[in-house]
Amino acid sequence: MSSTKIQIRGQPLSKVLTRNHGMINSVVCGVPIKRHHRVSNVLRTSDPPLGSVPTRTDESQFLRGDGNGRFGRFGGKFVPETLISPLRDLEDEFNFVLNDHEFQEELTTALRDYVGRETPLYFAGRLTEHYKNISQTTGGGPEIYLKREDLSHCGSHKINNALGQAMIARRLGCKRVVAATGAGQHGVATAAACAKFSMECTVFMGTADIEKQSSNVLSMKLLGAQVKSVEGTFKDASSEAIRNWVGNLETTYYLSGTVVGPHPSPLMVREFQSVIGKETRRQAKQLWGGKPDVLVACVGSGSNALGLFHEFLGDEDVRLVGVEAAGLGLDSGKHSATLAVGDVGVYHGSMSYLLQDDQGQILKPHSIGVGLEYPGVGPEISFLKESGRSEFYTATDQEAVQACMLLSRLEGIIPALEASHALAFLDKLVPTLRDGAKVVVNCSGRGDKDLDTLIQRGMPSSLC
Amino acid sequence: MVWVRFSCTIAKDPSVLMSPGSDPTLWQRPDSFSRFGKFGGKYVPETLIHALSELESTFLFLATDGDFQRELAGILKDYVGRESTLYFAERLTEHYRRENINNAVAQALLAKRLGKKRIIAEAGAGQHGVATATVCARFCLQCIIYMGAQDMVRQALNVFRMRLLGAEVRGVHSGTATLKDATSEAIRDWVTNVETTHYILGSRQALEKWGGKPDVLVACVGGGSNAMGLFHEFVDDTEVRMIGVEAAGFGLDSGKHAATLTKGDVGVLHGAMSYLLQDNDGQIIEPHSISAGLDYPGVGPEHSFLKDMGRTEYYSVTDEEALEAFKRVSRLEGIIPALETSHALAQLEKLCPTLADGTRVVLNFSGRGDKDVQTVAKYLEV
Repeated sequence: MSSTKIQIRGQPLSKVLTRNHGMINSVVCGVPIKRHHRVSNVLRTSDPPLGSVPTRTDESQFLRGDGNGRFGRFGGKFVPETLISPLRDLEDEFNFVLNDHEFQEELTTALRDYVGRETPLYFAGRLTEHYKNISQTTGGGPEIYLKREDLSHCGSHKINNALGQAMIARRLGCKRVVAATGAGQHGVATAAACAKFSMECTVFMGTADIEKQSSNVLSMKLLGAQVKSVEGTFKDASSEAIRNWVGNLETTYYLSGTVVGPHPSPLMVREFQSVIGKETRRQAKQLWGGKPDVLVACVGSGSNALGLFHEFLGDEDVRLVGVEAAGLGLDSGKHSATLAVGDVGVYHGSMSYLLQDDQGQILKPHSIGVGLEYPGVGPEISFLKESGRSEFYTATDQEAVQACMLLSRLEGIIPALEASHALAFLDKLVPTLRDGAKVVVNCSGRGDKDLDTLIQRGMPSSLC
Repeated sequence: MVWVRFSCTIAKDPSVLMSPGSDPTLWQRPDSFSRFGKFGGKYVPETLIHALSELESTFLFLATDGDFQRELAGILKDYVGRESTLYFAERLTEHYRRENINNAVAQALLAKRLGKKRIIAEAGAGQHGVATATVCARFCLQCIIYMGAQDMVRQALNVFRMRLLGAEVRGVHSGTATLKDATSEAIRDWVTNVETTHYILGSRQALEKWGGKPDVLVACVGGGSNAMGLFHEFVDDTEVRMIGVEAAGFGLDSGKHAATLTKGDVGVLHGAMSYLLQDNDGQIIEPHSISAGLDYPGVGPEHSFLKDMGRTEYYSVTDEEALEAFKRVSRLEGIIPALETSHALAQLEKLCPTLADGTRVVLNFSGRGDKDVQTVAKYLEV
């Protein structure tokens, strides 16, 4: 095994044993490793962490990451030189629009009139009652609220980010947008935003996903987007989309759907999604005059979770709970539980936890919730785990399907299978909470796209 | 399935108060006999009368019950996600405005007839200015476009286009230096030079705060619920035009449609007197529409009443026109409409060219088209 010197924050480090360089499937920002000097490295979590964690003088600032796209040791810009300049332009543009009154007003109007925000914070009375009955408690039991991102235009939280980034693309003078999508929700949201702002749109999607989410594919086409199929799943579509971007840098904007990728993607996407948490704070204040006690969200790469959590990072009394996909079980090897069993490494341009084997090959993830089927996770999420600010658990395919059907039957809301993972965790969470605890679950999408999958699983006769 | 028609005698003619063209504020909708004029009623077997009376009195009570209304409002807000937004469909508006190059042409021809050699117009984003400049070039007329100095900077490309086409673009620096100031300046010019000058009024593009009512309401009509939902509030406002759009299926002459108010006769169906699609023997005709929600051979009695009163206008749109509209709105606004809604959207094609610039049209976007993508994919090359 060869060894490589790694420099982080200018501090030279002792040699660290690396894993096999033959990671054919791994790409750095879409460019095959063989053509590139390998910058990524797989680090065992048992080693002492590289770089020092800054002292917690300002908790909240510490938790929000530094200005260079690093969240503790995670994040960064592991990209070929050709991309450094466009990424810097993007970062400048993003920093500008954050404080630009005109941009923010246009975005707020679009979020209100086009997307339909604010989304409600809905008290799920029957679900609350259900848990109360199970625990046979004499008290009121915890109260469960759903943040209804499923009511947004296009059916999920993805549009919050697609709109904001499409507006940036327009500012940068790009005529063309490329994106990659797994479940199709980000693809549809991007296609819609591009239609609205009259930009060309090309969406890359894995062949396996195209089959499973055919109605989303049709929607994208109807919205005027070109859909290009890529052998494999979301991770392969991502790589292809990035390749396409690199080949057309002058005219093309790469619209990232989630909080992974090189800086400034994780930051931008999180900022655009943070409207979810901001609204939740306001609504919680209105509804019960306080803050939530626990926030629960599913975690694929982490965009909807960060969208809800970010606002509350500095509120120590608010528990942040993320739920990953355990697929067919953590021992089966068929899951997407990156934080639960993954290791740290570099993937798609940033350092974060990822699912890889002993050789450093990226593992093929699995989840019935296609949007959770990603072998990595956003760097900020990795950081929240490592710093102990957030807790992460998992739910299996089976548990997610059960939770989906439960909510449908009890509240008349069909959640997306991704969001169903968050709902599934309530089974374990709620019994541990005190009476009157306020739980807010991010209902990140609606389940219309999953009806075929659910039908295939078979509707239990007791629910008919 | 067998449609059963109850026979009955029609009640006495409605009083003068309820005649066509009368003051809507005097109409009782419904009256104490549960009728809308001669429409409506309770054409049911005796066994249902009591249940219906009970339903009616409970409904009337709850309509003014604070507790019930509060609970309902809470559910509509937190569960359903109301209010639904009133969204300015900019690209769709632009689409129809662009089609108003026809308007510019017509006006230029008119100007020539009037012997006017000089054309003026105002521009915001510049689309109208470009259309006017184009037409003036074609008809060899002098063209002056007034544009706010701010807008000229923001729309430099359009300014260049206008100048290339031979128009003179005059910057307006007064006020906020935007469209409204350009409009004032254009009017000033016209007043001064009315002998020689024709003013081609452009449209307002800016999303101004709208302190008024809609001018036209448009909604698709199957049974009529979404349309009544939108119209009801405005029935008394006679300056608000209300347009319902039914399904013409394969065409009104094909016999395969669901255009009840256009082609139907009065009769009783499903318990109420209303217009319905029936043949000469009084058998209900099997309706057709590509959209399931409009595929109904009857229509609500209140619609029948409003039609007869002349308060609401009804038109129809074919399957093909609806599909075109479905495609158009998806691409222009990134919103996939339901096929039912697409009928209302299709009517815009015929409606918009007849409307004055700046007219505010509110269309009830009654549903999303996710449920229809499979159907549409079959028909269109997607």
